[in-house]
Amino acid sequence: MGNLLEHMGIERDRINFSWISSAEATKFVEVVKEISNKVRALGPNKKLVKDYN
Amino acid sequence: MKFITIDKKNWAKGIEKSRETYRLFGPVKDKNGFFIRDLEKDMLPDMTCNDSVMSVKSVLFPQTEKILFASLNEAKEDHHIMKRVPFDPKQRAVVGIKPYDAKAVELVKMNFDTDDYRDPYWCDAYEATTFVGVGINKPGPFDFSTSTGTGPFSETGLDVLMADLDDAYLAKILTDKGDAFMKSCGFDKVADEKESLALFDILRKEAEKNISSHIDSSKLKDKTVLELHEAPFWDDIAFSCINCGTCTFVCPTCWCFDIQDEAKQKYASRFRNWDTCMSPLFTKHATGHNPRDSKTQRVRQRFMHKLKYFIDKYDQGIMCVGCGRCVKSCPVNIDIREVCKIMNSYVKSN
Amino acid sequence: MDTCIQKIREIAFQLLDKKEVERVIGFSNGTIPMATSPITIASKQDTEKLVFNSTCGLNLANYIRQQKGKIAVIAKGCDTRNIVTHIIENQVKRDQIYIIGVPCKGMINKSKIKALFEDEIIKFDEDGEILNVESSSKKEKLNKKDYLRHNCSLCQHRNPVIYDVLAGERVEEQIIDVPYPDVEKIAAMDADTRWGHFQDLTKNCIRCYACRNACPLCYCPTCFVDESGPQWVGKGQDKTDVNTFHFLRAFHCAGRCTDCGACVEACPMEINVRDFTRKLNKDSLDMFGWEAGLDLTKRPPLDAYSPDDPNHFIK
Repeated sequence: MGNLLEHMGIERDRINFSWISSAEATKFVEVVKEISNKVRALGPNKKLVKDYN
Repeated sequence: MKFITIDKKNWAKGIEKSRETYRLFGPVKDKNGFFIRDLEKDMLPDMTCNDSVMSVKSVLFPQTEKILFASLNEAKEDHHIMKRVPFDPKQRAVVGIKPYDAKAVELVKMNFDTDDYRDPYWCDAYEATTFVGVGINKPGPFDFSTSTGTGPFSETGLDVLMADLDDAYLAKILTDKGDAFMKSCGFDKVADEKESLALFDILRKEAEKNISSHIDSSKLKDKTVLELHEAPFWDDIAFSCINCGTCTFVCPTCWCFDIQDEAKQKYASRFRNWDTCMSPLFTKHATGHNPRDSKTQRVRQRFMHKLKYFIDKYDQGIMCVGCGRCVKSCPVNIDIREVCKIMNSYVKSN
Repeated sequence: MDTCIQKIREIAFQLLDKKEVERVIGFSNGTIPMATSPITIASKQDTEKLVFNSTCGLNLANYIRQQKGKIAVIAKGCDTRNIVTHIIENQVKRDQIYIIGVPCKGMINKSKIKALFEDEIIKFDEDGEILNVESSSKKEKLNKKDYLRHNCSLCQHRNPVIYDVLAGERVEEQIIDVPYPDVEKIAAMDADTRWGHFQDLTKNCIRCYACRNACPLCYCPTCFVDESGPQWVGKGQDKTDVNTFHFLRAFHCAGRCTDCGACVEACPMEINVRDFTRKLNKDSLDMFGWEAGLDLTKRPPLDAYSPDDPNHFIK
């Protein structure tokens, strides 16, 4: 799925997959931080976003 | 009857000039064929278009049209009150459409503009629009319009009918709307009426002679609905159908639509989208029951509507203008001409 | 393919005559040039209606689900791969289907041929590898190999993979060194160009769903675009909704698509929707060494777990 989205031109760093157990709170925080940083670096997504107005 | 000659050298300039008064629509070549589109600045109607993949229907009845909106912000006095999307009152002109498409607009009008109900979106657009058609000198092999009450030089539904004379257009002004459009273009070189009439007559006869495809729908009126409805041929006709919406979407006379609401945060919109009787969703009830659950029922519905129910309800012929678009576009080659033949010649055996 | 049609008719006649099958599903001649139409035949007299030529671009595996009794189906290489997929996915039982396999030399690209003419084509016939095409203004003699559909020109499974009988001699399989040149071409673009490519690709889509409905894989009782509770995607012409449909439909075909080309064949707007599915086909091949519909005994990669599945994407 990530590959196809990337192929369509959605930046790879916007799509993340992770397996985190409910016991892995630290890993959860790390992953979320990492993803947030990557997405922040890319800026707001303008692709595949619907304009409702 | 007024006729005007337009030298093709002056055509582009005149059309550009009309933009002061009109928003223009016309044929545009895009990828696999022609489409009737809003002509943005510097775009001219492509008059080389012999036929378009999609019809003129979308000018008055876009595939997706936002019709109403509302605020969902409860702090506002008018929250949740649906309001009509403001109508752009600017005059519109569709230039370069084919006579069968104009006839189709007249058929669609029977549905949207009735004694009991006037569809404001369609009717407002219709009233604002001038239809400038061009006769088809060389009809293609799929054109069977002479069998459907129109033809390559039919005037029904048009405000102006032009004839392409290689280096000039000869325009027959049919209505005041048409006259106003020609004036806005600055086209005012009046042609001799008698000569022009004769010329139109020759062109029409020549073009009609070129039409090789015909259908006979004369016996459909006298058949009973049940006789046709229960006829044994529907399963065979429907077998190959994949139930896509192609035939209904390319059809200039298919008028069915579906209403959809979409909302995000404090804003809601109501749209109408073309619908298709080929889709099971078309008749699916909220209970889950579907009165037209099988493919055969849906295919039968389409042809019965076009070739029987419409005749019975309006007594204005069949709901088909013979443009041949569905014949060309159907992925599995279900041919309305063949279906019409089967229906028209069907005699119930006891 | 003239000889194979005689053979197909004979086989179909025998099957119906001996009541081995109740019906035969095949192609019949269309009413317009370059068109054939799927047909079902129940009486042996009607077997004369069966045809097979380079215009039979739809996939008949799409017509064999939910049929009663035993049926025979005429199947090209790709059609048989979709029959295999149907069997694996429990849509049909092997013993319910009698497969008349047709080794195939490829179907023609009708849009490419139409584009050669300014007016409508009024006559089409084929003589071996030569296509004779005629409009009212000109005649063309074309080499079929130059006008194959894109998927057929890259096909490596022209011979049926399962069958009960073959209606012709096996044909030589093509050796293709670069099986996904189109996918690689898109992959080489930068992200915005790729995005632009797909935006332009679906620009004229009218959401008739011919691609979905012609596809043997798309047999969900209710497609996600037709769901109303919850509604996953808007139904109008909004670009994002249109692209969501194409993207998600393609994804539902991951590891199942045989690149039969029926979707493109059916599209009235001539959109190459295979640009979506072929990326997934390439990934299936690269990551799992998988091509759909070749083996009745293997589970598809997205349907099974293996410890050596690639997992670099997960963190």
